[in-house]
Amino acid sequence: MNFPLLLLVAAVIIFFYVVSLYNWFQTALTRITASIQDIGNQLKRQASLIPNLEKSAKGYLKHEKGIYEAIVSARKAVEKASGSKDISKIEAASDAVSSLVPKLQILVESNPEMKGVEVINKLMDELRDTADKLMYARRVVIDLTADFNAKVVTVPSNFVAMIFGFKMQKGLSTPVEGGHLEVSEAETKEPKIDL
Amino acid sequence: MKNIYEQVDENKFRSVVVITSFIVFITAATYLITYSLGYDLSAVGIALVLSGIFSFIGYYNSDKIILGISGASPANKGDHFEFYTVTENLARVARIPMPKLYVIDDTAMNAFATGRDPEHAVVCATTGILSKLNRTEMEGVVAHELSHIRNYDIRLMSIVTILVGLVTLLADILLRTRMRGKSDREEGNLGAILMIAGIIMALLSPLVAQLIQLAISRRREFFADASGALLTKYPAGLASALEKISADKEPLEAANKATAHLYIANPLKNHHDSIGWFADLFNTHPPVKERIKALRAG
Repeated sequence: MNFPLLLLVAAVIIFFYVVSLYNWFQTALTRITASIQDIGNQLKRQASLIPNLEKSAKGYLKHEKGIYEAIVSARKAVEKASGSKDISKIEAASDAVSSLVPKLQILVESNPEMKGVEVINKLMDELRDTADKLMYARRVVIDLTADFNAKVVTVPSNFVAMIFGFKMQKGLSTPVEGGHLEVSEAETKEPKIDL
Repeated sequence: MKNIYEQVDENKFRSVVVITSFIVFITAATYLITYSLGYDLSAVGIALVLSGIFSFIGYYNSDKIILGISGASPANKGDHFEFYTVTENLARVARIPMPKLYVIDDTAMNAFATGRDPEHAVVCATTGILSKLNRTEMEGVVAHELSHIRNYDIRLMSIVTILVGLVTLLADILLRTRMRGKSDREEGNLGAILMIAGIIMALLSPLVAQLIQLAISRRREFFADASGALLTKYPAGLASALEKISADKEPLEAANKATAHLYIANPLKNHHDSIGWFADLFNTHPPVKERIKALRAG
């Protein structure tokens, strides 16, 4: 009879199904571990990049801040002096302003363009990119665990998962209950930016 | 809707169909011509070999040819920080290798992806789109292009460009050189032959357009929009990018009928010269309005 042969074919098919699913589960687990490591990797990148960027941005800004402060204080002195009607004071104040000129020239010569805005923009770009990289690294963990968990709980792959003891993966652990599931009255209003 | 694996299989299959049809068509055409003119049929064998070699070159170098036609130059992280980092991040989520990046120096807003598989893929954007979109919108556009890469749309679309679009490209080139050479009459015979060849190929253009549309359905763009939105989880980003792109009335100079179907939005819009004649025939893009509606609804 053909019956034993059919049984054999069915057994072979089931065997290959189980093996391939087992391998799928193992591969998915490895990928999940790797994606979790990637979050660590991105955090490390952030930790080494951002303070250094901050430092160099501060360095640039200090350079410009010094001259701005000198200009502001000189202007204040001139204003005060012009109010007092004392010629020697006015002269002293205007001397202070004119003494700034060579300084300003040096500043402009050493930085043909004021770098402040550029430096801050660059810092903001890097901050946004780093935040994105971390967000996407977490997204990969969420996606991979969702695929994995779906196979663990759906028929027929859940039988294979049961046999080999594959458990649901936590992924990104987020509290199931809590404030992030509720929207308070205040949060429904448009936020106002106040600078 | 088909899932991504079915999409990949279908694209690989269609690519083989396009290549085979190309070789069969060239060989059959050569056979007909040589037979009806009573020439030696050895030309058929040569045609078979040449079309085979041409397909082979087209398959492996379609990206380089297309980038060359489009006048693209490599992008770098320093000058195109947003483009580079957005692609880097999204390629990670899409779980494909980081594609090579190119830019076209043109103020028109457009972008395309090409290559033969995710390991040999290119994303190309105009400087116009890079400067006018914000980071969120750029993510939408890049995610759309990465979906084309992941679906193997790039393989099919690039092969179609090289093998099918070639006829229209040659027609353009022949007609243009003819127009330019009109002043000096010394060319004589050769010029006339080129002219006739150009006109014949131009007459073939509507047929070629039909072939391109047959190979590349408009649903492809919807599918890439949807799977792109799945990557960013923010369909509104791409929707707003498409709104900006459709508001931009400038045609892209570097695009032509052969490459138009590669772009995220039809680059031939408002082209009022010889290229614009057939532009509507070659319209492989669904109306942007419908795409925005689908994204906003999702």
